Amino acid sequence: MLTNNLKIAWRNITKNKLYSSIKIGGFAFGIAICLLIVLYIKHETGYNKLYPAMERVYRLVVQAPEGNKINRWVSLSAPGAATLKDEIPAIESSGRMLPNPQFGAGSNQLTINSLPESHYDDGFVYIDQSILDMFPSPMQYGQLQHALDKPNTVVLTKSKAIKYFKGNPIGQQIYLNNDKSKSYTITGVIDDIPSHSTLSGYGFFMSLAGEPFYPGEQQKWTSNNYTIYIKLKPETNVSLAEQEIFKTYISGHYIPELIKAGRKVGPIVNQIKIKLQNALDIHLYSADIEDDRVSTLNRGDIRMVWTFAAVAFFILLIAGINFVNLSTANATNRAKEIGIRKTIGSSRNSLISQFMIEALSYSFLSLLLGVLLANLLLPLFNNIANKSIQMPWFNWYFIPSLVLATVIIGVVAGIYPALYLSGFRPIAALKNKLVGNVRKPSLRNGLVIFQFATSIILIIGALISNQQIQYILQKDLGFSKVQVIVLRGLNAVDDKLSPLKRELYTLPTVSHVSIGDYLPVPIDGAKRNGNAFWLDGKREQDLATQGQFWRIDEEYLDTYGIKLIEGRNFNPEMASDSMGIIVNKQMIAELGIKNPIGSKITNGETWTIVGVVDDFIFESLKGEGIAPIGLVLRDSPSLLSIKVQPQHMDETLASITKVWNQFSPNQKINYSFMDEGFEALYQDVKRTKNMFTCFAVVAIFIASLGLFGLVTYITQQRTKEIGIRKVLGASHMSLLKLLSEDFIKLVFVAIVIAIPIAWWAMNQWLADFNYRININWVYFIVAGGSAILIALLTISFQTIKVIRTNPVDSLRNE
Amino acid sequence: MIQLKHLFKWYNVGSTRSFVLKDVSLTIEEGDFISIMGPSGSGKSTLLNIIGMLDAPDEGEYFFQGENVLDLKQKKRTQLFQSHMGYVFQSYHLLDEMTVYENIETPLIYKNKSSSERKSIVSDLLDRFNIVGKKDLFPSQLSGGQQQIVGIARALAGSPSLLLADEPTGNLNSKQGEEIMELFQQLNAEGVTIIQVTHSEKNATYGKRTIHMLDGQLK
Repeated sequence: MLTNNLKIAWRNITKNKLYSSIKIGGFAFGIAICLLIVLYIKHETGYNKLYPAMERVYRLVVQAPEGNKINRWVSLSAPGAATLKDEIPAIESSGRMLPNPQFGAGSNQLTINSLPESHYDDGFVYIDQSILDMFPSPMQYGQLQHALDKPNTVVLTKSKAIKYFKGNPIGQQIYLNNDKSKSYTITGVIDDIPSHSTLSGYGFFMSLAGEPFYPGEQQKWTSNNYTIYIKLKPETNVSLAEQEIFKTYISGHYIPELIKAGRKVGPIVNQIKIKLQNALDIHLYSADIEDDRVSTLNRGDIRMVWTFAAVAFFILLIAGINFVNLSTANATNRAKEIGIRKTIGSSRNSLISQFMIEALSYSFLSLLLGVLLANLLLPLFNNIANKSIQMPWFNWYFIPSLVLATVIIGVVAGIYPALYLSGFRPIAALKNKLVGNVRKPSLRNGLVIFQFATSIILIIGALISNQQIQYILQKDLGFSKVQVIVLRGLNAVDDKLSPLKRELYTLPTVSHVSIGDYLPVPIDGAKRNGNAFWLDGKREQDLATQGQFWRIDEEYLDTYGIKLIEGRNFNPEMASDSMGIIVNKQMIAELGIKNPIGSKITNGETWTIVGVVDDFIFESLKGEGIAPIGLVLRDSPSLLSIKVQPQHMDETLASITKVWNQFSPNQKINYSFMDEGFEALYQDVKRTKNMFTCFAVVAIFIASLGLFGLVTYITQQRTKEIGIRKVLGASHMSLLKLLSEDFIKLVFVAIVIAIPIAWWAMNQWLADFNYRININWVYFIVAGGSAILIALLTISFQTIKVIRTNPVDSLRNE
Repeated sequence: MIQLKHLFKWYNVGSTRSFVLKDVSLTIEEGDFISIMGPSGSGKSTLLNIIGMLDAPDEGEYFFQGENVLDLKQKKRTQLFQSHMGYVFQSYHLLDEMTVYENIETPLIYKNKSSSERKSIVSDLLDRFNIVGKKDLFPSQLSGGQQQIVGIARALAGSPSLLLADEPTGNLNSKQGEEIMELFQQLNAEGVTIIQVTHSEKNATYGKRTIHMLDGQLK
């Protein structure tokens, strides 16, 4: 029975090649996309699973309500980690990570031993030895246990070690930013950090042992720059641990220190909670943590995972629906066979099993093709999603899950057609009396509507996310980021900064040069900080205004085209400007200053306001609004920005390089364009957009494929009717209308269903952006219009063929 | 063998009933060869289909070898059909995507015969009807007469005691028709009960008994 059924299935598949290839091809496409997304989800949900005992490792997250939302952040103080471990018995170990560029993490200029050459590289981070113990990596050289115990030690990843050393580099020295007073000794080389790790992206792990970055820094509870990880002892109650941590950290140390410093304890302190975030949750559940971007270089979002899972499911569903629709539409062609089989003694069950085996054969072939297709598309997918996912061919579960998937997909897609077809009454089937029954199938119409509605939602999603990206990239930020070249690693120039600046000004296309690390775009190497401001003399009474405190030079405002709306720019000639400050409008607003020029504000030191600039957007357009900012005339000499004329860019770059080489013969020039850096900030949004675009294309493709097959069958069944109508004098146009009408109506219904759903979903997505487009009805018209156009093209391809046939041929068949 | 008692079959057309069968009672003995004749729409095919369990009456009783067919469950009815009946059609109704051999074999598969049993039965039939050389051909490669012979061979594969034929020679020329009728006579002589529906007076004469139908009633 089985071999016989398989044989019949194969003959049916090969008999009608168009029909089979639509069925198998569409299904295979759906399966391929689905498989890729499943692999992606598996990768995203597998973060940190490679480390042992992760169920006991947690990151400290502080949360406090603001209005009706809850702010969360992970930056904490230097003494927190060790104190918690000492005072709370449930904590087995604790460790800190300092990823803040302010202290030398991030990107640095690097020299090796006493060699003259220097290099510019990224991936620097300060950590405690205990972090290495919690997230252990296999060692290439050295001992993991005590690698970072001593001050001024560093552990490299394998690829960094290969980049700078031959063989075993243990014991060699590196220097950062030309600071010869401080050498870091290499004590270990670990394997490269895999992409599904919290430490991913880092390559230089520098010891925190013996650091104060400034006097008293290590004992200061009110300065928050560290991410703290703890490992609890087995079977510790997490919420009790959270309470103890709060008691020790906030009540035991933080508040007493505030009071000792004569600072006011704000009501916010009473609403603060310290939560423990499990290490396995860090990757996907930190999208709302404000400072997470600083400490985690490879961020995910659980909402993305769910969205993708839904997309995978719907694409598979669309492909499955094709299967059902084509099978039932094919009913009239199969009816005779079913009738015959029943009259030669087939029971309904044996017909059902025959159709199920056929369905399983289709799904098996589709899966085979789908897996091959997925394998081919994987590099492209990795590229779009910025992952390094591999086909898990040799994992024990891979092949069995595929087989299971084949069976499930085959059964789910095949069961309805099998029941439907096997239920035909034999006599009616033999006499072709099923036509009425087949022509008005409300279920099939429902399925077509569903397919098109889903596709239209994806198209609208792709259109809107595209538009949002365009909007962000072209948004007026309050400063100009075009034609600005940023040079990095200026420490190589040492004390010849002013001559370098003068030399650059001699180039004809250079209009402004500014030295400073606090760039208005948070690109790689740009610094940010957090400072508390008060009106002078109000420090003891008022709550602090949180803002940024940037060190700039007098060229900064001109280089970036930041608009001065009151007062004046800095003048280095005026001695008083060394204690002058330029603030933004937001600072004035938050501090409530009426006549800003000449007013004094304090952040520990007291500054006199000399100018006010218009607000400019210096953070990602996702997230928070504009924060208060104070600009002071101070050195921060590792980045240099050059505003150039748009003409002759190549020559300009060549002459800048020449000047650089003259001043820094031992380090290659490292430059980037600020607008490109700005675009890079939105890589993740761009990725989302690209993936949605791909999914939308696949969905509409599969849906059209199904429609094509369906139209082919329906029009074939109507050839006789068309013949008669032609004999009666119907025009081609009226026939085309007749044949298309029913389908186009379905697409219209799909549009009506899709619009509110897409509107709602895209509003959710846009809500993440502080600056966003309004959803315009044009998107709906474009998406709906293109769906109708695609459907019309699909339909007419078949119908025109049928309409053109000579009625004599179609009627003679009877 | 078969007892039909007061069979009615009707369709509702608007508010009126249109009868296809009207109070038909009939007894058929084992070994009989019956020809049912009548004009189009007289209900002969419907009667044949009810006897063949492919259709059910709206009213009346049907006994097959003493069993009340209409009370049987679907599964039991399929079994009864498989073990006793073979069907032959005017337009042959062979399975297009199967070879001659496979067409004859299919009913045996449904009867769960073992593969060796199937092989010997099919070989015997191919031999008997002189179509051994055509066993690997598909129906579209055969003439009408040959297709009908395959249809009959397939109907006989389950060694039925009752052969039902709905205008078996309707699509054939007269010479082919005669051959089929002679074959039927021979089968009947071997003990197979045959009921055929026919338009042709000449074909009816091959049977032992002729029943005339008009407007759903026996005459």
